[in-house]
Amino acid sequence: MEEQSKYARLFNEIDSQALITLGVVLVGTIVLIIVSQRGLNWLATRLHGQLRFRVFALVPLTRLLILITALAIIVPIIIEPSLSNMVTLLGALGLAIGFAMKDYVSSLIAGVVSATELPYRPGDWVQIEDTYGEVKHVGLRTVDIQTPDDDMVYVPHLKLWDHAVYNANNGGTSLQCVASFYLHPEHEAGWVRKALRDVALTSAYLKFDQPVIVVAEEKPWGTHYRIRAYPVDPRQQFLFITDLTVRGKALLSAAGVPSAMLQPDAALDANKEAGASYSRNNDY
Amino acid sequence: MGGQSSSADTPLWSVVELDQFHTPEQTQASQWRRSLRSISSWLGGKDDTEQQVKNESELRKLPEVRLAHLVPPIDWAPAARALTQQLESLQAPVTFFITTPYSGHDAVVTHWAEKQSVACLPPPTLSELAEGGTQWVERCTHHRQWAVPALQRYFLRHTQGIQGIREFLERALSGRLGQGVIGCDSWTYAYLQQVIGIDGAPVYTLQSMEGEQLARYFAEIATHGGQPPPVYSTRTGKQVLADSTAKRDKNEKHPNQELQRLAAHCRGHIGIAWHYWRERLREPTAGDKEALWMFDAHAEAELSTNTGDKATLVLHALLIHGGLDDHSLGKVLPFSHHEALNARLALQRKGIISSYEGRWQVAPLSHASVRQLLQSRNYLVDPL
Repeated sequence: MEEQSKYARLFNEIDSQALITLGVVLVGTIVLIIVSQRGLNWLATRLHGQLRFRVFALVPLTRLLILITALAIIVPIIIEPSLSNMVTLLGALGLAIGFAMKDYVSSLIAGVVSATELPYRPGDWVQIEDTYGEVKHVGLRTVDIQTPDDDMVYVPHLKLWDHAVYNANNGGTSLQCVASFYLHPEHEAGWVRKALRDVALTSAYLKFDQPVIVVAEEKPWGTHYRIRAYPVDPRQQFLFITDLTVRGKALLSAAGVPSAMLQPDAALDANKEAGASYSRNNDY
Repeated sequence: MGGQSSSADTPLWSVVELDQFHTPEQTQASQWRRSLRSISSWLGGKDDTEQQVKNESELRKLPEVRLAHLVPPIDWAPAARALTQQLESLQAPVTFFITTPYSGHDAVVTHWAEKQSVACLPPPTLSELAEGGTQWVERCTHHRQWAVPALQRYFLRHTQGIQGIREFLERALSGRLGQGVIGCDSWTYAYLQQVIGIDGAPVYTLQSMEGEQLARYFAEIATHGGQPPPVYSTRTGKQVLADSTAKRDKNEKHPNQELQRLAAHCRGHIGIAWHYWRERLREPTAGDKEALWMFDAHAEAELSTNTGDKATLVLHALLIHGGLDDHSLGKVLPFSHHEALNARLALQRKGIISSYEGRWQVAPLSHASVRQLLQSRNYLVDPL
């Protein structure tokens, strides 16, 4: 009898007033989340530069704050907030999570971590495992990534625990792009280096407050040149790389610099390098 | 920037080193106002024009003859004299004189060269620029003293188009071409500084004008020494060109509040302010025709915040080159001539760009908003 009354005290008596309050809080929370998420996303997509990323970063944080506030209101209405009650409740929850919803809850917790540690924010260009693209939305359980092929990939947050996240611009506007050129070993390397630097410096997309570097690397099949530079806006990365590649090829071709004839295994080597690169390049 | 005291004793024309240039007071506030207006127009879908004490319907544009008398073209001779004073003690092989578009660097340097009997070097042809030839640099080697009024005509932003100017500036900066003065658009200067590196040479510019200086200047050119005509603001109804002989309230920080707003809006550049003044002067359709009105200085052709990338790239290319014709524009943009032409036509229809001396340029009344847009999107902007 005593045990029964103990469990009865775990939950408060839910009268009609409590039900109405719960309903209002739930509906209010949902409406607030929808309005804040859509509103902030709408605003951020119309902004440019650093401001865009700052507004995007507010999206998951706002949702987290709304949820915590809602929980802080709801829990004392349903449960008598004593130590023994909380221990009982958390124990039961832990059991359920441990058996049935481990990955789901792990993703939810990782989602909370992602909202505070910010390994990715909407507007960032990230690579998680084989998926590269722009973060469109950071949800409760997944991060939505739009690939350059316009596929939307939903990656669960739990990847945070055991996978590296490559963030190319990390909440900023600087994203390094790499344009590669594979040249026959017989050429004037100093001239090519200067010419490729000029290609970058005359690109309409170039961001000038970041360095422009031309890297040359000797390979068994020839010389691999890379232009490392930054576009004005991360969203211009593919246009920027294309511009560098097209104009670089035209310049080298006009100067009579021959391309390297890659052996199949050497080509594979190049692809492996490209896969390991954090920055965007034209090797894929 | 800003924060400098303005005074009636300050000379109108002052040539200063680039790092001494400062924007007028309230420039930051003016930028905020422009952003706010842009956002409210974007949200509300219409212009948030401030309340006027005089309706536009009661006013009309001035006849060309009267306008030419009241707002004649700027005489750059005083600026050239100020430049001459700065150059007197200078021994550097090359000195730059930079201003924003429409602010007279070419006219000032040409005037200076005429007075000093110094030869102006002819710019290369478009085909020389397109082919990347450096023969035109050889033509510049026969002068002990020389001047280049508009350096923006000496390059194109593509791999071939910067070879000649690089060679020319390398020779000039090392002193192998003798001694020269280069007039240059401030946007071109910013670009060449990044691409070629011209940090070692002394750089001069026109100091910005505060509202009071603008009032003095506009009164002077309108009266030629006599009493200025009464000009009222349509926003406040107060006199814009305050009588310099009238008693002034000591507590009044800016007696020419309207022109201080204009100075801040134009970042103190007289060439751009002159265009505003000329464009905004009105006379009443009825009543006292002698009294003139200055129509709201900020109701200009402005860019919306959602301006596309292509339009932005066209505007940036035009500014960096100090204006381009359609053929050259296609050469410096990363898309086809057809797309460049479409983007240019769209901007022209909105009044953002206009044809000036045979080239498409950002219109003077749009310069402030275009600069702010480019800056907000991380594009390279001029130091002025």
